[in-house]
Amino acid sequence: MKSFLWRLAGHLTRGLAMIWAVTTFTFFLIRLMPGDPVQVQFEKLIAQGMSPDQAEAATAITYGFVPHGPVWRQYLDYVTGLAQLDLGVSVESQGIPVADRVFGAMPWTVLLVLSGILVSFLIGVGLGVVAALRRGSLTGHSLSIAGSLLHGVPPFVIGIVLAALFTRRWRWFPSGGQYNGDKVAPGFYADFMLDVAYHMVLPAAAFALASYGGWLLAMRSSVASVLGDDFLLAAELRGLTRWMRFRYLARNAILPLFTVLAISFGLVFGGAIFIERIFNYPGLGMMLYASIGARDFSMMSGSFLIITAAVIVANILADLLYTVIDPRVRRQT
Amino acid sequence: MKRSVCAIAAALAITLAAGATAGCSPSKPEAKSGGTYTSVDAFHAIDPQAPINPYAGKGNAFQGYNAMPLGFRKNHLTDHNQHYPAIAESWQVSSDGAEVTIKIQPKAKWSDGTPVTSEDIRTSAAVAFTQGGSIFAIAPGSAGALGEVTTVDEKTIKFTQAPGARNNTFLFSILAMWVLPKSVYGPQLPADFWDKVKTGAGATDAAKAARDEITALGKKLITFGPPKDVSAGPFVLDSVSASEAILVKNQHFFAADKIGPDKVRLRNYTGNEQIWNYLTAGELDGAPFTATPPNVVEQIMKVPGAGKITGLSQVSAALMFNQKYAPFEKVEVRQALAYLIDRTEVQKVGAPDSGKPAEHTSGLIEDAGKAWIGDAEVGKLNPYNPDKAKAEALLTQAGLTRKDGKWMLASGQPFTFKLQVPNGFSDWVAAGKNIASQLSNAGIAVEATTSADYAVYQKEMAEGKYAAGFWLVALGPSTYNAYARLYGGANGWSAFGGKLSHKPAGEGGNWIGGAETANVAGLGVVNPGELTYQLSQLPVDQAKESIIKLAKYTNDQVPGIQMWNYVNVQFINTTRYENFPPTNCECLRLPHGVWMQLGYIQPKK
Repeated sequence: MKSFLWRLAGHLTRGLAMIWAVTTFTFFLIRLMPGDPVQVQFEKLIAQGMSPDQAEAATAITYGFVPHGPVWRQYLDYVTGLAQLDLGVSVESQGIPVADRVFGAMPWTVLLVLSGILVSFLIGVGLGVVAALRRGSLTGHSLSIAGSLLHGVPPFVIGIVLAALFTRRWRWFPSGGQYNGDKVAPGFYADFMLDVAYHMVLPAAAFALASYGGWLLAMRSSVASVLGDDFLLAAELRGLTRWMRFRYLARNAILPLFTVLAISFGLVFGGAIFIERIFNYPGLGMMLYASIGARDFSMMSGSFLIITAAVIVANILADLLYTVIDPRVRRQT
Repeated sequence: MKRSVCAIAAALAITLAAGATAGCSPSKPEAKSGGTYTSVDAFHAIDPQAPINPYAGKGNAFQGYNAMPLGFRKNHLTDHNQHYPAIAESWQVSSDGAEVTIKIQPKAKWSDGTPVTSEDIRTSAAVAFTQGGSIFAIAPGSAGALGEVTTVDEKTIKFTQAPGARNNTFLFSILAMWVLPKSVYGPQLPADFWDKVKTGAGATDAAKAARDEITALGKKLITFGPPKDVSAGPFVLDSVSASEAILVKNQHFFAADKIGPDKVRLRNYTGNEQIWNYLTAGELDGAPFTATPPNVVEQIMKVPGAGKITGLSQVSAALMFNQKYAPFEKVEVRQALAYLIDRTEVQKVGAPDSGKPAEHTSGLIEDAGKAWIGDAEVGKLNPYNPDKAKAEALLTQAGLTRKDGKWMLASGQPFTFKLQVPNGFSDWVAAGKNIASQLSNAGIAVEATTSADYAVYQKEMAEGKYAAGFWLVALGPSTYNAYARLYGGANGWSAFGGKLSHKPAGEGGNWIGGAETANVAGLGVVNPGELTYQLSQLPVDQAKESIIKLAKYTNDQVPGIQMWNYVNVQFINTTRYENFPPTNCECLRLPHGVWMQLGYIQPKK
């Protein structure tokens, strides 16, 4: 127990140091980007048909929300705010706390990407086992080739194809949004949840299709390597049933994938910028994309911080989880 | 086991997501006979965390739906003071333009049933002062700003301009002011607010302190949001999520009988592509203007019920030159390029559906030019029709020579330049490539290069990093706005406290780098910045002479070449609604909520 706590304390210290380093790096990197949020807003309004006077009046107050002063001063203010769990205020959404916007968008991204990861993981692992067990057959080859091909296609390409086919060619699914607010109000009832699921089908499918190939190939390779291990031969000699041997095989083969899965959960918060944008699914990814376009420094810093923290926490959890699921690691610690 | 873990995870995520969404209620009432009109608010993306406040950058107050000004400006060719009545039923302007008396709609009521009164308008003016800008700027010497607000009676209010120079923007700035309920915003203002405004106009330390206080109040007010929408518009906000805002009909609206739809669904967007996706999926009843590529227009028009309304757009796309880059400082070179570029071809490639080739470079769109200075004067302007011989003569006159089919500078270097366009502006990108190709064929090697995004483009253009690039000009209907685009800050002129000054090229945002004065045949020596500044003060009926001079100066000096004048193309779908505004309606530039107030957009029978 004591060693576990030491291990945890070490992880947390390293994690905090990492968060600080990444936060500092992104803070300065963002400020090196050319572009002025006030000018962006002014020109955008003009291009949309607003007269220059109206656009000027509409952007005048934005000046007050743009971080100003020397960069070191801005950095100190930012870090002081962070110490008080204050991520600052949005420039684009003039004065709205960054935390409100980030935590408002986060659940939708988590829902989307988590669903995509779980679906792709389950399909990929299942098909990976089949591909390994039948690796000399047509089925095994077909599965491996399909997995390799889809693994190589970027998610946004799959997203564009799905959107073109199912929202514009056949119009089976909506072209964007999380739910139809005209028909359902948020709440814990079937109609709402079904509508959410209906709006999520295409973006989640794009994510799952683009990533299941990776799981399939990793599982196939892992199963293939475990198949040659002595313990499986010993189990067969001991007369264990086929099902019991399969369980031995699966439990050992899936171990390496758990680490990747846990890290993937960390990436959930980073969202799928392109997929969210293609399907106009307003999660963290789309918010981050919009804030980069608008040069909303505070929003960018806040979003990067949350994504970084999530990945680091997921890494720590993966490491700790590994000690639970793999007795060999536990014994070494 | 795994299945149950997934189920728990999914349920947890849905719970989180549902919890994060505003306005929980178990069911939604069905829209009645008027149905739900689905569109997009052009002015900003939707943010569920934003307050219901029209001054907030992404506030959930949507112009023409649940946010109302005193009047809606018409897209009039020459008179920027032409408005449709909104909360103001009528207005009277004194002969010197310094006094505006507003009569409020007699039946105007807030969505809570209370009447809209002069006190609401006075509170609205106070809030406008906290936001600054335009006539609501509080600064020593801010000539032409709003001076006094006087309540005449419950439904009449008078606005008086502060002493000083006449301000042509006075009437439309008053009419554009958001009307806010005193019951909601009044308590946010200090009791001595108007005293602070008076004090703030001075030049003392106390004045500065008062201004600082008002600015701080402005920052606070912009984040203020009432818990419930109190609207005087035709709709009231019902719910908002990151995907859309739902508004329901306001039964207390003064012209509720004109409003066809029972609900409005405004969908979120962060880029034109999303609007095009909604349109090609047949999910919108109407969409605001976006410059749309021809292949997308084709897809949109294939949707059953799809149609488009076109009208005047007072914006022109121009190729601008930075005269710090040789040889663009020579007027002959700029004129030669105008002769070399076939604008009809550029428009066909860049904006075939949403543009018309610019017939003249005058600083105004063609129709506005004709309306202001007449066909005869416009006819005297040089159209710069494609003419290689004239171009060659001008380039030779500027000291350039032709060698092996390439134009060489006097220094012996080849004449080449980069034409910059921002990534994502499909019309400008296509047009830029076409111009580069045309000029390269004529012996001037031009490379069209793209900036990462619009923010980078604007910053680098203002810093003078581009030799040539695209720029929006001729912004009407105010001729001051149109010419300030060419002879304002971007070209070195700025006015403060009633005084005009000029900064040299490369300083203080002067990236065009034109000469402060130039001698133009028939006009003599002209200072275009001075003429432009005069336009901000001259009464509309006395502005013609200045406009003629500016049009001729622009046509002769060619600070940029107007490529095409935009056409306002609005896509509609008549499957569910009919009676959309006609082509060329002066209301086209206004949100569809305003169209509804004018009696347009009725459910299909």
